[in-house]
Amino acid sequence: MRAVFAVALLLVAGAVQAGDSDTAGDADAAALSLQGSAPQAAAQPRAWQLFVEGGTGYSEVRDDSLTNQTSSLQRLSGDLRIDATPLSGLRTVFSDRLDYADWPFELEPKREINTIKEAYFSLQPSNNFIFDAGRINEYSGVAIGYNPTDFFRGGAVRSFVSLDPISIKDNRQGSVMVRGQTLWNGGSLTALFSPKLSSQPNSGSFNPDWGATNNVNRGMLIFSKRITEDLNPQFLLYQEEGSSPQIGMNITKLVNNSTVAYVEWSGGRSDTLLTDALGQGSDKAFRNRLSTGLTYTTSNKLSLTFEYEYNGTGIDKGSWDALPAVSLPGYIRYQQYVTTEQEMPTRHAFMFYAKWQDVLINHLDLSALVRYSVADHSNLSWIESRYHWAHDEVALQWLNNSGTLFSEFGASPLRSALELSYRHYF
Amino acid sequence: MKKLCFITAAVLAMGVLNAGIAVATPTAQEILAASDAVRNPDHPFSLTTTLTEYRNGKQTDLNTLAVYSKADTDSGQFRSLIRFIAPARDANKLMLKTGNDLWFYDPANNASIRISPQQRLLGQAANGDVVTFNLAKDYSATLEGEEDVTDGDRQKRHCYKLALAKIRPDVTYDHIEVWIDTSNNRPVKGRFYSESNHLLKTAYYRRYEKQLGAERPTETVIIDGLDPNWVTLLDFSDWVERDVPEAWLQRDYLPRFKPE
Repeated sequence: MRAVFAVALLLVAGAVQAGDSDTAGDADAAALSLQGSAPQAAAQPRAWQLFVEGGTGYSEVRDDSLTNQTSSLQRLSGDLRIDATPLSGLRTVFSDRLDYADWPFELEPKREINTIKEAYFSLQPSNNFIFDAGRINEYSGVAIGYNPTDFFRGGAVRSFVSLDPISIKDNRQGSVMVRGQTLWNGGSLTALFSPKLSSQPNSGSFNPDWGATNNVNRGMLIFSKRITEDLNPQFLLYQEEGSSPQIGMNITKLVNNSTVAYVEWSGGRSDTLLTDALGQGSDKAFRNRLSTGLTYTTSNKLSLTFEYEYNGTGIDKGSWDALPAVSLPGYIRYQQYVTTEQEMPTRHAFMFYAKWQDVLINHLDLSALVRYSVADHSNLSWIESRYHWAHDEVALQWLNNSGTLFSEFGASPLRSALELSYRHYF
Repeated sequence: MKKLCFITAAVLAMGVLNAGIAVATPTAQEILAASDAVRNPDHPFSLTTTLTEYRNGKQTDLNTLAVYSKADTDSGQFRSLIRFIAPARDANKLMLKTGNDLWFYDPANNASIRISPQQRLLGQAANGDVVTFNLAKDYSATLEGEEDVTDGDRQKRHCYKLALAKIRPDVTYDHIEVWIDTSNNRPVKGRFYSESNHLLKTAYYRRYEKQLGAERPTETVIIDGLDPNWVTLLDFSDWVERDVPEAWLQRDYLPRFKPE
């Protein structure tokens, strides 16, 4: 009886397998009947990229009387990038963003803001030598949130009209510089000089704002070398006129098939940010900045990044807690200064970033970010749902700052905001 | 005596013939290497890949990539620089692939971010570099027999069936089954599996045309293993033999890459 049952089971299993095979065969046959794109339909590279984006929503903003007011948010933005090669070996890059924002005055007092992100030309006499001159967005770093080796981020952001915290890396102006790079098999050396052009930033809507990015003479060397297939560190030496040299290093490592770990560090003798902000005296010492984390990707298209951030030039918890009581103007000046410099006001922070592609339906992406200050437990939370077609995207974003009045994120007049935006690529 | 001499000569001749046949019979690994050579040019090259994605028979995506590739002199594996051309939202983004060392570059912020092989597999555009991998370098082949199978153009082909087991721990697929035409070593079909023996994808190589000195497949049909209604067609065009300088294939060159 048991044998009969076993045979029956085998027959059923065989039938199921045969069915599976047929199904697979049918699926393959259906797939093979599909037509690919004719070679002549292949898109050709284009020298320009342009998108326009409109956004509408509302915000809760804390006013001067410390009460929260609900205000509408309206925004229209245009972003153009031209990357052309008019002559062999000559490359010209122009990248510009124009924002028209009807935001509460406490958040963004200006309506129109134009940001010249990049405007430079580049000569490449051979595969191994490249020379550039103009406004260049010089970005160095491997971390997702805080970048200690991104030495040219200070003064780079003109407008904060996007709720996406990561977008400040996209919407920023470069520094005017001359730059040379030589490359060889597995290695690269870059040298650059960025001169002082103006002493003060200029908030005029269409001003090129040289003073924001070029208010001091600066130079940098970047050396990178592939050590093994898995290790390709970058070393940096940065010098600002009147300051001590800063050194930096960033490196990544594949932990396993789905995890990348990274470390980004810079250090050197420097004042604390508070001393720099208030312009009083000097408290120079060797100070470190560090960002380290890992990104793990699941098989169902979810990427998770955890990052620890340390800023030795920020102030410690005791000083941070005491600052508003010691000097309220000093506290306000400090907050403004660290925002402009894109620095952390305190020593320790954590960041969590998640991106989930094709959530529930194809072409729908979900992103989330949390920044957490260890000193005062305040946090910034952001979540975005974005759906895209071939040329268009629609996004719904929500941002919330949480914390006490004088905390890192609680101090922001923006308490929360919700925005629906639409972007069209030409 | 004459008869003996004749028999001896015949036996010797048969022996020589047999030895000749033994030498000429390729091993499974040689068949695989020959099949790799059909897919991959033996010199640096560039081509355009157009990916047409279908779900349930309906076109849902169209991506275009430019691939610049050269074989590594040590490992024999291809190192590729992949430039996204379309859709417009991804234009001019780059991916650098040297084995499992993968970097993604976005011109919007000039940032080069290291990504894991799993992260690369997000999105069908990741399939864009399937043309450039040398299976014989990463897998050990066993001949399982010969079979008649239906090829991508729905013709019957007499094929070697090879079972491939990984010999490097860090490859994308744990094991693979491939069918290779016995008459000309053309790859006909492949099934790619995970460590847990789940079918990840099925690939058909079809539309053979003369490109860069040999008959090569100019279209690959990829059927998702979990969802057979998710199909991606990869069409290869603009094949050009060209120098791909070593200097291009590193993270610090990504912001400078401008091939035109």
